[in-house]
Amino acid sequence: MTPAAPAPRRRSLSQRVQRWWLQRLPLTDSWTLTQSNIYILPTKAGIVFAVTLLLMLLASINYQLNLGYALTFLLAGSGLVSMHLTHGTLRGLTLHLRPTPSVFAGDAALLEVVLTNPGAERHGVALYFEDRERHGTSWVWTDVPAQGQASARLAIVPATRGRHAVPTVIAESLFPFGLFRAWTLWRPAAQVLAWPRPESPPPPLPAGSPRPDDHQPQTLRREGAELDGVRAWRRGDSLRQVLWKKVARSGELVSRDTAGVGTQELHLDWQSARVAGTEQRLARLAAWVLAADHAGQVYRLQLPGQNLPAGQGDSQRRAALDALALWDAP
Amino acid sequence: MIGDFWRRLPRDARDTLFQLGVIAWTILPHLGHLQIWCGVMATVILLWRARLAATSAPLPPRWNVALVLALAMGLTLWSERTLLGREAGVTLLVVLMALKTLELRARRDALVVFFLGFFLVLTNFLYSQTLLVALSMLISVWGLLTALVLAHMPVGRPPLARAGALAARAALLGLPLMVLLFALFPRIAPLWGVPQDASGRTGLSGSLTLGGVASIANDDSVALRVRFLGRVPDPEQMYFRGPVLGHFDGREWTRGVSGFAPSQRLRSDVQVFGAPVEYEITLEPSRLALLPLLEMTPDRADAAPEIEGYQASLRNDAQWQLDRPASERLRTHVKAWTSYRHGPRNDQLALRDLVELPPGFNPRSLQWALSLRNRPENLQAEPRRLADLLLAHVRAQDYSYTLEPGSYGRNAIDEFWFDRRLGFCEHFAAAFVVMMRAMDVPARIVTGYQGSDPVPVDGYYVVRQSHAHAWAEYWQPGQGWLRADPTAAVAPERVRISRNLQPASGFVANALSSVNPQFALQMRQTWEAMNNRWNQWVLNYARGDQVALLKKLGFESPDWTDLSYVLIGLLCSGSLAAAAWALWDRHRQDPWQRLQRRVATALQTLGVTVAAHDPPRTRADRVRQCLGARGGDLAARLDALDRARYARGSGRLPLRRWWRDFARAAAAAAAH
Repeated sequence: MTPAAPAPRRRSLSQRVQRWWLQRLPLTDSWTLTQSNIYILPTKAGIVFAVTLLLMLLASINYQLNLGYALTFLLAGSGLVSMHLTHGTLRGLTLHLRPTPSVFAGDAALLEVVLTNPGAERHGVALYFEDRERHGTSWVWTDVPAQGQASARLAIVPATRGRHAVPTVIAESLFPFGLFRAWTLWRPAAQVLAWPRPESPPPPLPAGSPRPDDHQPQTLRREGAELDGVRAWRRGDSLRQVLWKKVARSGELVSRDTAGVGTQELHLDWQSARVAGTEQRLARLAAWVLAADHAGQVYRLQLPGQNLPAGQGDSQRRAALDALALWDAP
Repeated sequence: MIGDFWRRLPRDARDTLFQLGVIAWTILPHLGHLQIWCGVMATVILLWRARLAATSAPLPPRWNVALVLALAMGLTLWSERTLLGREAGVTLLVVLMALKTLELRARRDALVVFFLGFFLVLTNFLYSQTLLVALSMLISVWGLLTALVLAHMPVGRPPLARAGALAARAALLGLPLMVLLFALFPRIAPLWGVPQDASGRTGLSGSLTLGGVASIANDDSVALRVRFLGRVPDPEQMYFRGPVLGHFDGREWTRGVSGFAPSQRLRSDVQVFGAPVEYEITLEPSRLALLPLLEMTPDRADAAPEIEGYQASLRNDAQWQLDRPASERLRTHVKAWTSYRHGPRNDQLALRDLVELPPGFNPRSLQWALSLRNRPENLQAEPRRLADLLLAHVRAQDYSYTLEPGSYGRNAIDEFWFDRRLGFCEHFAAAFVVMMRAMDVPARIVTGYQGSDPVPVDGYYVVRQSHAHAWAEYWQPGQGWLRADPTAAVAPERVRISRNLQPASGFVANALSSVNPQFALQMRQTWEAMNNRWNQWVLNYARGDQVALLKKLGFESPDWTDLSYVLIGLLCSGSLAAAAWALWDRHRQDPWQRLQRRVATALQTLGVTVAAHDPPRTRADRVRQCLGARGGDLAARLDALDRARYARGSGRLPLRRWWRDFARAAAAAAAH
């Protein structure tokens, strides 16, 4: 997994300073904003505002306008107060990252950030990733009610399988007048797990073999997966088992009864995935896992140095995909 | 229905319409003095933009806007002959503001509109700074700030009232800083020359042609306000001395230029007797370099006016003048004496200037005066006697005082004295001076204000432009200049109760005063009182007041550097206080958390280890486990704390006291 583009040999000074700055921030999933981690600077508009005020002051002096002075100073006072208000929009907030979802490489992982506000209502808090070149320019704006919570979703798209650190998040506010920008840098500790992207179109599943153990609890099962029955939805049925068309017609949640397929067991083996390249093999295995899971079959996964015992259902699929995502050549 | 329409508008359209409304409100006061094309253009553009917003139509392309801008510049150049200067600048600013609304594409454009808007508000003050204008511009500023807040509330559809409240809150929080800066920011003189505008300000002009004063008499605006500290002089003594006109060319009275050497010119030579009248006078900006003060305010250290930024001096004709036109309201504290003498006591050559009459004008008057003088009983009469004769003549004949005497021809004095006999103060004064001069008595016209509104408003006597007056002075050997007011001879009430003839007022005011004159009068007086306060406290706040403020704060002889020091000092201490608060706020902790931490530390010294998040009852259990009977007291206290914190219906437990007692108990347990 070498990076696609070679990293520039020498970074500019500001980049290096920024990197050093980021490095000293702690990794945490819960980030409370205080004086010490909120930065604030005037925006371009703030500078233009200051110039406008200066011009207005000059006009007031030259035309000896006492009301002009009053207006200029009123705006100056409001502008200065707005600095405090902008800072106050962030101060006291706690940003908390919900457990991150796992996605296939190339799909968007939605990260949910919960903003908890112990004080008065906050307006116009923006969240986005610090590295906007790599993680897109998706901005999320949110208001946070007084003594309440709000959540915002940020999306990242992991390009490759494996664990990806959640990139540095910036929370910022321009409220109320846009003259100042207050922001904080937050490095969440959580990581996003990206499963290998399944091969497309999905290759045919390898042939199954009878289950080795005689322990067959399914008395009601019939032969052949194509003879699926229909039964009421039970806890633990995956969404894929739900017969949505029937649900739409009848209004009741019904699942496909796939009990019959349990008599066969699939071996999803590193060796049987005959394609060139590690990643391609993993992609094929991932596609098989999905297909087997979709068919409701029992399957086991065998990777060099790693073995996943037979099983089925959501937890098995998850375990298999996780193993594929994290597999490393021994 | 409108409310419904408003509610159904998309948020962007609603915000834009609101912003357009604020801009229109800001431009509105300008319509009165702008070129008509500019007002029409701005209105059309704003309406067009409103339509685009209401129908969510796309904005016109850039080159369209540029075209209109070029057209506006051309029109400005055509109507103002320049692109610089105040009028042209305001015209362009209004058009630019309206045009910029057609470009509200990005946030940056919106911000440009706000900043232009603030500047536009300021330009309104160039024309008027009355209370009414201030209030309406306060609404403008509030509206602009509200729109600015709205632009930074990107989520959902925040109600306008909410944004308005947030904007008002920011402004109110900024108010102390504004007051501080307003009071202490050094008022300095204009940095470069302000182009003098020929704005038609009325007032004493320094010259007089018959008929000229009539236009002032119709002007009911305030010229000055006087507050007496102590004795209030009688109305007939309230003469505010303005330009003294000694030169007559047959048509116009002017000050004239003396042909004598400076050492030979007449001197003011003011001598005063008796007790002074102490007063404070506030002058509206007259754009004239003169100071109409009560007769007679001498040039004495304890009486003379002192105005920060101006040099006031007493002219030889006993009129106070300034070194430059008063472009702002002036206030000064002076003393006047109602009994005084001024001018030369003995005959001087320079007095000959003041008996000159242009040849070929008013022959009948000259003839009449000469024959009066040549009567045997008058041959040796002194000037005072001649003046009395003239006044008696005016009183005895059927002269009448009117503000509308009609126009007079070339020999105006002749016409007035013999034929029409209709006139107001300046006719009487001019005729009197001509007659006196014809009898070889030095005489001159004095213009100024006489009297005031009869009832003081808020302690201030209001003198209006309609109190403008002209009277005469003649020279009496051994006495100097003596005042003669022939108007008082014909219309004593004009001088005694200073009833200025009311000009026809507007329809509404007319209706109001005819329905309930008392109410109308009261309304007017309340309004004037508010206006006066406004003038005194806000508009008139000048260098002198700043100096007085510093003196109150204990500075010996403050100047503007002291002012800057005080201002900088206050700002610095304010910032330090804010920094200290920030530091304190940073270390501030929830009292409960702090107590929990302290308890944990105290238990640690006793050898009991508890976790930071353990509630008090868990800690009490730990104490019982580890310390046994020795910790019974501590455990009981911890239980009490737990109940107070978590049990339903328990009263508040003062944490501070609890901690004191607990610490003592812990120390006792440790000593065991």
